[in-house]
Amino acid sequence: MDGYPAGSLDLNVPFLVVAGLTSQPPNDLPLDPQLQEQGILLRSKLPSLDTEDAKALRDYISTRDARDQPWNTQDQKPYRFRVGFSGRSFIFPPRRARLPDHVEPPELPPVLHSPFSPLNPVSPLYPDGLIDAQWLQKHQELVPSVYLCVYSLESDPTMATLHDKSLRTDINNIRLAAVHSGYKTRIAVLVLGDGSKMSNDPAEGMQERLDSIRRGVGLDTKSFFYIPTQDSPAELERATDSILSTLYTQSLEYYRDLGRHARKKRSRGVTPQPTVPPTTGTSQTLSLQGWNVRYDFKSAVFAEFRQEMDTALRSYDQAYDGILSQDVMDILPSWSPRWNEARLLTDVISIRAIRCALWNGQTTSAVKRWRAHRDRIADFVDRRGRGTKNYGWEAWQSRWALVMARLIEKADPSSLRPSTLTLFIPPEKIVVGEHLQPWEMLHHKGYWYRLAARHLVSRRRLAHAMPEEDRRAPGDSPASVVASRAYTYDTYLCPEPHEEYPLVGKGTDHSQLIIDCLELARSEFQSRKQLRASAEITLEWAKELARVEAWEDVVALLKPLWTDMSFRREGWLNIAEDLSWVLRAAAARIGLGDVVVSIDWELLNKQFTKRPDWEYDLSKSLEGVQTKSKPTIALTDDTVSSFVFASFIFKNEEGRAGETCRAQLTLTSHAFQFSAPVRFRQVRVDFDGSLGTIILDQETGSHPDSTYTKDDTTLSIVPLTENVRSDDDSEEVERGSVLHGPADLELKAGCTKAFEMAIPLREPGEARAASVELLVDSDAFALSYTISFGEVNTANIWFGPSLSTRRIPRPKPHAIQIQPRPPKVDITHINPLSQYYTDERIDLVLDIVNAEDADAVAKLEVHVLGDHIPAFSIELEEGEKQEADASQSESKLTNISLGTLGTSKPARARLSLEPSRMPMPYEITAKVTYHLVTDPITPIMQSKTFHIDIANPFEANYDFLPRLHPDPWPSLFDYEGARDLGDGDEAAAPAHPRCLAQKWCLVCHYASFASEDLQILELEAKVLACQPSARCISISQLDLPPDGLTIPPKSMQEVRFDMVVQKLSLDERGPASLDAAFMLKWRRRRDAQSGDGAAINTTTMPVPRSIVLGIEPRVLGSVSHGDVGTGLMQLDLTIENASGHFLTFGVTMEPSDEFAFSGAKQTTLHVLPISRRTISYRLLPLVRGCFVRPQLVVRDKYFQKVLRIIPTEDMKMDKDGLLIWVPPAPEEADGEESGRKGLDG
Amino acid sequence: MATDIPSIACIGIIGRNNNPLHVSIFPSYNPYTNTLAPLRTPLQFSLLLSSTLDVFELRARHAAGTGTGLSGDMGLLHAVDERLAAYGFETNTGIKMVVLVDMRGRRVDASVLGGKGGAGSSSAASGSAPASASAVNSGVGLREAELKVVFRAIQNAYIRLLQNPFFEPDEVMEKGGKKITSRKFETEIRRIGESWTPGVTSL
Repeated sequence: MDGYPAGSLDLNVPFLVVAGLTSQPPNDLPLDPQLQEQGILLRSKLPSLDTEDAKALRDYISTRDARDQPWNTQDQKPYRFRVGFSGRSFIFPPRRARLPDHVEPPELPPVLHSPFSPLNPVSPLYPDGLIDAQWLQKHQELVPSVYLCVYSLESDPTMATLHDKSLRTDINNIRLAAVHSGYKTRIAVLVLGDGSKMSNDPAEGMQERLDSIRRGVGLDTKSFFYIPTQDSPAELERATDSILSTLYTQSLEYYRDLGRHARKKRSRGVTPQPTVPPTTGTSQTLSLQGWNVRYDFKSAVFAEFRQEMDTALRSYDQAYDGILSQDVMDILPSWSPRWNEARLLTDVISIRAIRCALWNGQTTSAVKRWRAHRDRIADFVDRRGRGTKNYGWEAWQSRWALVMARLIEKADPSSLRPSTLTLFIPPEKIVVGEHLQPWEMLHHKGYWYRLAARHLVSRRRLAHAMPEEDRRAPGDSPASVVASRAYTYDTYLCPEPHEEYPLVGKGTDHSQLIIDCLELARSEFQSRKQLRASAEITLEWAKELARVEAWEDVVALLKPLWTDMSFRREGWLNIAEDLSWVLRAAAARIGLGDVVVSIDWELLNKQFTKRPDWEYDLSKSLEGVQTKSKPTIALTDDTVSSFVFASFIFKNEEGRAGETCRAQLTLTSHAFQFSAPVRFRQVRVDFDGSLGTIILDQETGSHPDSTYTKDDTTLSIVPLTENVRSDDDSEEVERGSVLHGPADLELKAGCTKAFEMAIPLREPGEARAASVELLVDSDAFALSYTISFGEVNTANIWFGPSLSTRRIPRPKPHAIQIQPRPPKVDITHINPLSQYYTDERIDLVLDIVNAEDADAVAKLEVHVLGDHIPAFSIELEEGEKQEADASQSESKLTNISLGTLGTSKPARARLSLEPSRMPMPYEITAKVTYHLVTDPITPIMQSKTFHIDIANPFEANYDFLPRLHPDPWPSLFDYEGARDLGDGDEAAAPAHPRCLAQKWCLVCHYASFASEDLQILELEAKVLACQPSARCISISQLDLPPDGLTIPPKSMQEVRFDMVVQKLSLDERGPASLDAAFMLKWRRRRDAQSGDGAAINTTTMPVPRSIVLGIEPRVLGSVSHGDVGTGLMQLDLTIENASGHFLTFGVTMEPSDEFAFSGAKQTTLHVLPISRRTISYRLLPLVRGCFVRPQLVVRDKYFQKVLRIIPTEDMKMDKDGLLIWVPPAPEEADGEESGRKGLDG
Repeated sequence: MATDIPSIACIGIIGRNNNPLHVSIFPSYNPYTNTLAPLRTPLQFSLLLSSTLDVFELRARHAAGTGTGLSGDMGLLHAVDERLAAYGFETNTGIKMVVLVDMRGRRVDASVLGGKGGAGSSSAASGSAPASASAVNSGVGLREAELKVVFRAIQNAYIRLLQNPFFEPDEVMEKGGKKITSRKFETEIRRIGESWTPGVTSL
């Protein structure tokens, strides 16, 4: 708010003068000397106070001075004072000015007026001014509303009376002088205790003393105060606060009186006459309307003193309307200084009115007033003044915006503070619902400062558009020009044209003004986290600085923005571009080569707009730039975008250590068409994980045969060589070897270059291309640009040799999974057999072959899985042997050291499984853990699993047929023969105990289920048990050929064993059960052929249990052949009665057509207990070579039950009865074989 | 008497990552030359659009603090100066739509405006402000609600764009990504920007 007269815009607060706390000399009146002489002096004879209390009081009151308080109601104290301190004397301005000396006194005694009134010739307002800042100053700084005199009280009782008297006199003098001055200033007195005890004790007549003083000077209790000595500053402050609050009401009263006076004068409706009529100028005096404006303004100001802002606002509005009415400003000529004064007054009134509105929280209405005034003055200036198309108007506009910013700053509305994060205040309630302009919501200061800056820019534009003749100093120009200039340019509150933009020398520093505004605006925007907006302002600021060629400052401002560059990151390319060009220009001037190159690098991208007439050539970037040294620039794609895009793709997702994998590095240029190609000196690819760095070096024209070109795309096959030089940096070596490859690294605009290389994979693990670093190295600068690849890389184009593109559909084409080095130790099973059988010992021979390049130290481990695992052992060639016990489900042998395996030299281990009883599958896992002698840290493992299915070699089924025992049964009547076996000497008669014996025949039908021929060496039936009280006394043996019987697979074989079982005691009557087993001793034929005698296996198959030696009677039939020629044969029926009963049987034999017979056709047979009888028939068959059926029935007479006749050799039975085989006649003997086959069914 | 009424000066669609997806600029009336021309350069409009992102962020922070204001309509973001004001809308997918309104973008005959009713009845002159002669210059005001129709129309246009199976939103939204290139979308936005005037109830 510079430019407005001092004090004209301050918030008016009651003026309080505190006298007697300092020893200052009387105040000087800021008036002309003549008037100063006429000042009215208030003087006290008593000395100023200099006690501690007085000092504390003064300090406290001065802190309460409202001069710098914000213009709002947020002050918590109930009073608000502008405080002035004076010594014991104070000068009031003259109430009425004397007539000036040069004026001739009129005939009548002149009516004298205040020197601040337009009626008084000494006033600058004389004769027709409205009001000026002096008047405001008078009330704010010269004439106090309350004059507070501070005294101390004498505590010495001897001196008290005298002191009190002088005090009274002094106060009375001052009061009198004040009354004489004509001002209505209130006098108040404050008496301080002097610190002694007595003064604090009201009982000592203190109150009385004070009262007497007060009465003596005629003051009421509201103007007379006493502060006893206080213990603490806080109490003093509290006491002072209460006194000031009381004084505040007095002072409000004072201003109310003055306001009332002003209103009274306005309502009088009379134009006062000046002391002396004007004789100069237009001789015009202030009109009545002018006086009304003056009075309204005065009432408004007095209301403001009282902090009654509503009242003030109304009066300001009245004054404003008055001054802009047709009667006041319209009649002022625009060339007159009064015109600008009036315009200034409208500004002042407006500002004050806006302040009142802000005070009341009417923010929107404040903005409306701001706009309205602007619009109105614009209209007015257009109509009556010099128009709004000159720099003066813009200067005022920017001033007007600044005024608002300052008003907001001073009013400091709480809802607009930075902490609230609001940018504007929503409209107050009264105006909600109206069609508001968005700008009418009060925005924070930053917007206003920026607005001011914009107007300043317009001001400069208009100023620079002035014709030259107007810019000459007035002395150099013809008078006519000067005159016309006065009508053309608005110089209200701004310099004349020749000062604004002189032809020679410096005029107004517009840029500085703009920059000041922008700086203020930026700090506001920044404090509210409007970072982009503040960046925008910074850019404007920088452009302004560039205009004045403050290049260093431009760089200082823009470099952080350029580095951070949220615009670039968020894709606001045109902004980024603009910023870059400004920065580049500045950087080029001050020789910041790195910035210049970086920007050139970035702006090569064709997504930016092409600057016409600009040579896009990176290598010429630093031409004309003075740099101190050759700049080295390191950029990353995080900070600076680029025209080069890189991708790295592995062809395969997986690879194995020790192998190679093909990969492609693709560089694509998005530079402007026709821009110069960029030649990289080196391209470096770094990896995360287990791959070393790859460096491609520039080499022109390398390997043309491995380069394929099509359109804009080039594919080169780059051979990589490992470059481990002894003079390499040790660091480099530690990081892994570096692969080098030569390639043509010149990249033309719009072209794509792909480099294919075979990368040797060394270590297992994941490897990912992390970044590509492009290095440009010219004489002028060195630039490295790093492009990082993220976790997921979207580039996935693979170029084939014909430059056909193929998408590699993997989420991470730039990563490869390197599998560990494959184990090269082999485990082989030597000569596996196609089938393994139960009851045979199984030998597996494992060969462990080291196919590695180096010797390996190995260990073997064998796991066997399955049910009922037999014991097994492992035997190594060297003879070491380890054994494992049989187990239910899992068994293992570990840690079998194989020693050091030479390359390609097998170690042999023999795994032997004990014979298994049951057919079971087993899983055998052999695991070799080894490490190479050359690399003892890396353990390598190889394992192999073998499946063994064990099958039964044989299956068999059995028939257990009765036979007739040839020996006679023991006779019950022969005591010797029938004695119990157990009774006699066992050794004496083991073979023939005279008990019941039976002969049976065990028929075994067996077949080989093996997959090959087996050689059977022995066949045997074994009786395992014969219970109870029975035994098997003989089993027939079979004689096999000495080298065994070879049976082919799946063929049925039959063997018969006769066995005799016998009871151990005749008294034993129950049947016995017989458990037998069929045992084969066999071996594999191959084993037999190779003469390997070890493997004779025994397979034992149990025969189902049979019941023998029952006590039921049975009938056995037997046939014996007599003469072969006649075919005569004898059929014997043997009835065995093993029971203890006497049995009677009826036997009948029917005649038959097939044979003739001799014997009883019908007979009865008695069989004694435990005896047997035989009845014989002689049969002469009439047929030969077939079965004959004798109709023979044996019936138990007593039970009337037919007994089954049990056939023995050469007989068989079907459901109708017994069949007997008749051998063919000798000449037909060939057919016998086929016929007899059925016998055993 | 002629009156200035608001018109749309610029429509910006800004992506999830604060990247510009689409910017349409509309001419404003220039009373001095009596022509229609854009009020600012494209660069300046870009700066203005980008500065509204600050406001979106502030509002989001404020909304997060108070747990309110999750609806997309941001209303007035801020007034850039006396003529230009930015209004915003944010979809729940983070697409921001910004309309920059030029408060004096069109000049119409006051009688026409009067005939339209509502829109221009109260000019800048509020009851208390002593501004009777200012109607010419200050134009008519604007309610936030009057822009709802614009945002709805833009959103519809955007949804139609998304319905196009060949449009890949992710490609557009990608960081520093491409801009919307649909001619139909552009035409639609242009139509919205040109046909809107205060008080219009459907676009």
